[in-house]
Amino acid sequence: MMELENINHFLESFFSLYDCPIDRPEKNLFSIQLNRELDEALMNRPFYWHYMDKLGQQGAPMTLKLNTDPESEEKGFEWIHFGSPRLQQIFSYIQQQAMYTLLYEKSDGVTKTALYPWLVGNIKVSYLGKQKKEEIFSIGLHLINGIMLNNMMKKLENIPFQRVMSDYSYTLSPIIKPPSGFYRIFQYIENEISTHDNSWAIASLKTLQEEKELLDYFFQHNKDVQEFYENEERHLTERLEPKIEISIINAGLFYLSAQTVQKLIQTLQ
Amino acid sequence: MQIPKTMDKEYISSFTEVTESPAKLCSWELFQKSYQIAETMKVSDFNQLVSPSFLPKMDFLPHQIECAERVIQEMNGRALLADEVGLGKTIEAGLILKEYLMRGMAKKVLILVPASLVNQWALELSQKFYIPAVTARKRVNWKEANIIITTLDTAKKGKHQEEILNQSYDFVIVDEAHKLKNHQTKNFAFVQALKKKYLLLLTATPVQNKLTDIFNLISLIKPGYLGTYEEFVKTYRHQQKKIDDDPYLKQLVNKVMIRNRRKDTGVQWTNRHIDTIWVDFSEEEQQFYNTLEQFFQSSSHVSGVTYKREFCSSREACYLSLKKWINLNEKAENTPLLEMVKQIEHLPHHAKAKKLVDLVKQSNEKFIIFTEYRATQIYLQWMLQQENIKSVLYRGGFKKGKKDWMRHLFQNYAQVMIATEAAGEGINLQFCHHLINYDLPWNPMRLEQRIGRIHRFGQENDVQIYNFAIRNTIDEHVIELLHHKINLFENVIGQLDQILTKLELNDLDDEVEKIFTESKSIGETKIKLDNLASVIHSINDEEKVGEA
Repeated sequence: MMELENINHFLESFFSLYDCPIDRPEKNLFSIQLNRELDEALMNRPFYWHYMDKLGQQGAPMTLKLNTDPESEEKGFEWIHFGSPRLQQIFSYIQQQAMYTLLYEKSDGVTKTALYPWLVGNIKVSYLGKQKKEEIFSIGLHLINGIMLNNMMKKLENIPFQRVMSDYSYTLSPIIKPPSGFYRIFQYIENEISTHDNSWAIASLKTLQEEKELLDYFFQHNKDVQEFYENEERHLTERLEPKIEISIINAGLFYLSAQTVQKLIQTLQ
Repeated sequence: MQIPKTMDKEYISSFTEVTESPAKLCSWELFQKSYQIAETMKVSDFNQLVSPSFLPKMDFLPHQIECAERVIQEMNGRALLADEVGLGKTIEAGLILKEYLMRGMAKKVLILVPASLVNQWALELSQKFYIPAVTARKRVNWKEANIIITTLDTAKKGKHQEEILNQSYDFVIVDEAHKLKNHQTKNFAFVQALKKKYLLLLTATPVQNKLTDIFNLISLIKPGYLGTYEEFVKTYRHQQKKIDDDPYLKQLVNKVMIRNRRKDTGVQWTNRHIDTIWVDFSEEEQQFYNTLEQFFQSSSHVSGVTYKREFCSSREACYLSLKKWINLNEKAENTPLLEMVKQIEHLPHHAKAKKLVDLVKQSNEKFIIFTEYRATQIYLQWMLQQENIKSVLYRGGFKKGKKDWMRHLFQNYAQVMIATEAAGEGINLQFCHHLINYDLPWNPMRLEQRIGRIHRFGQENDVQIYNFAIRNTIDEHVIELLHHKINLFENVIGQLDQILTKLELNDLDDEVEKIFTESKSIGETKIKLDNLASVIHSINDEEKVGEA
């Protein structure tokens, strides 16, 4: 499971990532000294920063006080939980900051290490019809030999990556270029999807059919509102016609050592 | 089956370029977090609601969850919620809204509610659903704010209206939607003109087989289906068609309306205990009452019903309206009326008021007292004051801020709230479970609304209702009819409402008033009221058989 389960861990690691000092008077209480970046992202006061910049002043980022325990009603601390606007705000900030990456596996910095290029794509498939359902694929593609792996994020979970290459490491260049890599990944996902149960789509079409019959019945009486009829029919189709949207949560180029590649491929066999 | 698929091609074409500019690249930790977030927030099941698991403090009732599911899955987010009073329509609407917000299917939201409910909606959305809504009074940025609560009156004012109609809303809620029943009003035209994807109309007034109501509400939810009003009326009314005769129309109604009844919810409601508190007039009072009755019986052109009812409430209420009548009728100068007004001035404290003070004094509980008359309201406050019982007043005409303040005072400081009729709508007082009908309205809907203020979700205690009535007066007949004959207090109003529709009686109070006015004697009044009660009974039994 790659889901976030513990909100305390999440907050601790997120704010540490941005080097914001955290004070925790209790296990469930967080008093976070924001930096400018996060203040701008979370505190919703663009004018403040606008004027500070105009005055040539540094400005003082705020302290954010959060409480993760629904039972405690600590004064001055806002309750944060899955579904609270504050957490949603942090989520969407992260999602928007983490669309792309380029990472190198860390090595000891002494041995000469070749790094192999992988494309890692986290893909969201949305099944849209009467209702909505989502499925997430995490796919890794070896950009030299074309080997493809599923559950890639899980497999890479404990591998140390960094944004700069370690000393004495060097990269091999991809033979498969990332754009065509993405198409291979899409191809794979489409194949996967085609084996899925499609009763949801059939049910959607049936509802669409029913709604259209109802529409036809009522509009047979008043033909003079043709435009209205067409509009409504279009809306119905838009809403009910089953379709699948394949979108990218995030993706990146990952350079992995031969050793790691070996391990990954072993799990495949 | 071929299902059309779309792919995010833009991302791919930007990828190569972006990976060459380090500023847009993120760390391994953040990359992982983003993926985890997507896993956490994904909608993994077609059928299940996502939001309840994110609202750990809420305890939804089965019919509320079911309602939200139906609206989302079967009605595509366009529906009329017509639950009986007190079943939690606001909760249902909040849940539906939350679900759309969490699934990322709605961002821009407009909520139109009566002025008295604006703050309550904002409070409930933020406290129960963590939905941050802006309440709009005068100045508001319709473009920038995502979730706005306002009134129809504010929204349809010139400059606002123009701005609002320029916005594209994902989600619109209209509370108390019976205000949209008439398709010729500005309200209706305004809501119709809003650009909206999802639409919830909330009303407690049941839409029965009344075709015109159905026409208007369906026209908002499913525009165009029923054609123009004139055509619709021609097809259905003139051919004497009923909804049941037209399977398509019936299907259409089922596709847009949800109506939960108390008895279908399967919820254990706290009980209602009803006591009638009988009061005898003092001798002087009874004498005066008789004089009043005789006087109006002899003057054939005015009905004395109003004055008698008032006198059963307080000297003050009767005094004021007698005075008013005298001022309007100069000829009255030499009538016994002037004498009667003088008599009122000398009467002792009202027997009912004394009884009320006794009742409240003996208890430490909070009481909400309803009266029909403002004069009585003020008199009762004065009476309670004499015993050092703190009370607050509440009227429909109060400004919103004052209403909120009064509710706050009642909850935290005062033992008693004295409210006039107009307080009926909107205020929630679950923290109180004693209600006194100091005088009775003759309209059952209003009675139910009174009780609905305290007997609703969140009420943890049994609700105690006291009906005050004075023996040997008009009070006695009314309580007999409403309470003992048609069990109004035990019956839920929805049923009675249906019965009245069947009888083609719009208002029970009009009917009762007619009986009082037109009857020549007490005996006649009694017989007529009995007849009315037994008609209602027979239909009620018939309904029950039909349901079983």
